Amino acid sequence: MIHGYAGHILRVDLTSGQVLREKTDPRFMKETIGGRGMNSMRLFDELKRDADPISPENMLLMGVGPLTGSLLSASAYTTISGKSPMTGILGDSAAGGHLGPEIKQAGYDQIIITGRSDKQCFLFIADDHVEIKSAEHLWGKDIWETTSIIREELRDNAVQVAAIGPAGENLVKYATVACNNSRMFGRTGMGCIFGSKKLKAVAIRGRGRVSLANPPEYLNLCRELDKNILKHPEYKQRKALGSTLLMNALNNIGILPTNHFQKGICDYVDKISGETLAEKYKVKNKSCFNCNIHCSRYYLTKDTEGEGPEYETLCSYTSRIGNDDLEFALRMNAFLNKMGIDCLSSGETIGWAMECVQKGLLNKNDLDGLDFTWGNKKTIEKILNLIVKREGVGDLFAEGTRSLARHFQNNTEEYAFHVKGLDMICGDPRGIKAFGLTYAIASRGADHLRAEPFFELTGRYEEAEKRFGTRDAGDRLADNGKAALVEYTERQALLTDCMTMCKNIGLSMDIIDFEFAARLLKTGTGLNFTADRINRSLRKIIETERRLNIDFGMDSSQDTLPKRFVHEPLKEGPSKDNVVPIEKMVKEYYKIKGWSTNGIPK
Amino acid sequence: MIVIDFARCSGCSRCEVNCSFFHSGKVGRSGARIKLVKIESIGIDFPVVCQHCRERYCSKCPESAIEIGPLGQIIVSPTLCTNCGTCEKQCPIGAIEITNEIPHVCDLCGGNPKCIHECPMDAIRFEKKTSGIKSLEKYKKTAKGLKPEEKRLQYVIDSTKALREKWLASSS
Repeated sequence: MIHGYAGHILRVDLTSGQVLREKTDPRFMKETIGGRGMNSMRLFDELKRDADPISPENMLLMGVGPLTGSLLSASAYTTISGKSPMTGILGDSAAGGHLGPEIKQAGYDQIIITGRSDKQCFLFIADDHVEIKSAEHLWGKDIWETTSIIREELRDNAVQVAAIGPAGENLVKYATVACNNSRMFGRTGMGCIFGSKKLKAVAIRGRGRVSLANPPEYLNLCRELDKNILKHPEYKQRKALGSTLLMNALNNIGILPTNHFQKGICDYVDKISGETLAEKYKVKNKSCFNCNIHCSRYYLTKDTEGEGPEYETLCSYTSRIGNDDLEFALRMNAFLNKMGIDCLSSGETIGWAMECVQKGLLNKNDLDGLDFTWGNKKTIEKILNLIVKREGVGDLFAEGTRSLARHFQNNTEEYAFHVKGLDMICGDPRGIKAFGLTYAIASRGADHLRAEPFFELTGRYEEAEKRFGTRDAGDRLADNGKAALVEYTERQALLTDCMTMCKNIGLSMDIIDFEFAARLLKTGTGLNFTADRINRSLRKIIETERRLNIDFGMDSSQDTLPKRFVHEPLKEGPSKDNVVPIEKMVKEYYKIKGWSTNGIPK
Repeated sequence: MIVIDFARCSGCSRCEVNCSFFHSGKVGRSGARIKLVKIESIGIDFPVVCQHCRERYCSKCPESAIEIGPLGQIIVSPTLCTNCGTCEKQCPIGAIEITNEIPHVCDLCGGNPKCIHECPMDAIRFEKKTSGIKSLEKYKKTAKGLKPEEKRLQYVIDSTKALREKWLASSS
């Protein structure tokens, strides 16, 4: 008997209303592990390459991992995948909360949704019971309202709901899906695929339990991991501030995006820092399923409340766009979470517009009369409302920065900070070179989570030499040794995504290596996972994602960074005079992967 | 009995997870005797568990399958229980629920509750000799006809009113 895995795959075709359950194939799971690996391999096997991302042909996959919902700390995540409406290549996004364990308890390792419903609908799954229900009364409602209404109607507050807001309904290209109101599947526009299928939500309730192959041994491993979490040097700060600790941390090393990456140091960081947020507005910690860090926070201000924000939202709506008003950023966080728009992509469109106006490349008349001076709160609120409704210039903004800049031209494309159509995260790569390489080669576009080479910030030089052949790998400003580091952490990140764990525990804190993961997977599932076998699978999945993207039309010329980060050195602070020699780094990465000079797997 | 400091609870489910694991060897909410209620829209997380109430509603078992243990915990006899559902119906806060024909209710793990050790927020305490102090009478009437999940929700909303007021006052 196979343990850990729930044992079934659910297929729902919204065009025909047909529902199929099939057995999870242990051989497939050994090769793909679960989560993102399983989803990407499924897309590779089944998705028509030329499918329009917002057509019924696109697939929407929700995958969990073998140990999701088990005794393992932070085994909370779900990965949603499909062809991205935002980028046209592989799209996926993971989120924590309590959805993943519920999918597992309902008996599924993966939910595959295809087709398009002719009426607005939501999918209700309660163990074996699968029902496509009308969502006509939910259309237009925000994510928080939708979650509450569904739970009330089903008379069950424990139902987990993955829902979209009005942005997803209106096919904003970077619309999100949310579970537990504020845990966001943020990137690559999975909410837009929901909307294109007229699918408002997936509501799920499971009464099953996750079984384990060797419960006593598994318990010991989980407790060992728990101890390592609690004694980790970052534990205390992570628990107090979560990812918002990065506001000060990145400012201290001169890479906090300020005024759209024109500066790496923000003069007013004390007004918008994680510390200030915690001190003034946090009322308690919040947590995803079975975590023992509890890095999320619940906040109240005089006019808004909610969970979060994470660092990327906080920075996107403060320093990155020149806003020093923390309360305003918190209000925007709640707005984005209710409407279902990605903070990073929406923030980048706003930052881009502000810089283009500053440089005289755009003016008010181009932008519906809106005044895009740095930190203009009225404009920020107005444009977000227009984006959600796709009205006026908001219709262009809703396509994402790449497309927006292509529309306006006049050199504005130089300031559209994306890779492969996905907007950049809030970390200036000029002071963290391995991250720069990660943005360039990541299989979903400019993203840190595909490798998160946090190691380069830890100053562990001797370990760097041992693990990656050079002390430079532990020096954030060096470019040497970074390809080797990224190649390693890319596998580690993928493994975390396959096990659908949190990246903080699975990756950044560097406390789960491949040997330990193999022991967890083996004692959890009973399948013969070894570190070697896992690494073979991970390499194959990375290669498969690459092949899939090449099929979608991507080529190696896109494995690069926006011009500023390659040619314009930072002017001040601890990362002064640095740029990212991206061409050289990408070449080295291809070499380590054993790919051709054009980045094609052999 | 188990005392919840819900102002500290972050809603991680570790109490549920460990309860289920140590009772059934598997992990799932259905196997847990303590059930977390999350109300995301108001930031409330609250694990509901047997409160050893003064009224002892569940002990009105027609088969006399329920007795009260030395620590005040509920002990269900698997041989006498006919799965009639009276205890589930009687409990006003949804702390006893029948799953797979077994009434699931907190048994204090025989005096060493596993949920306590695994709460990283120190939101759960075990207090001996507090049996019979709390009355749940005020929930009895409105709990009629509700499913256990709905009863838990009602109990949590009522119990956390003061905390909500405190939060709102501190933020204005």
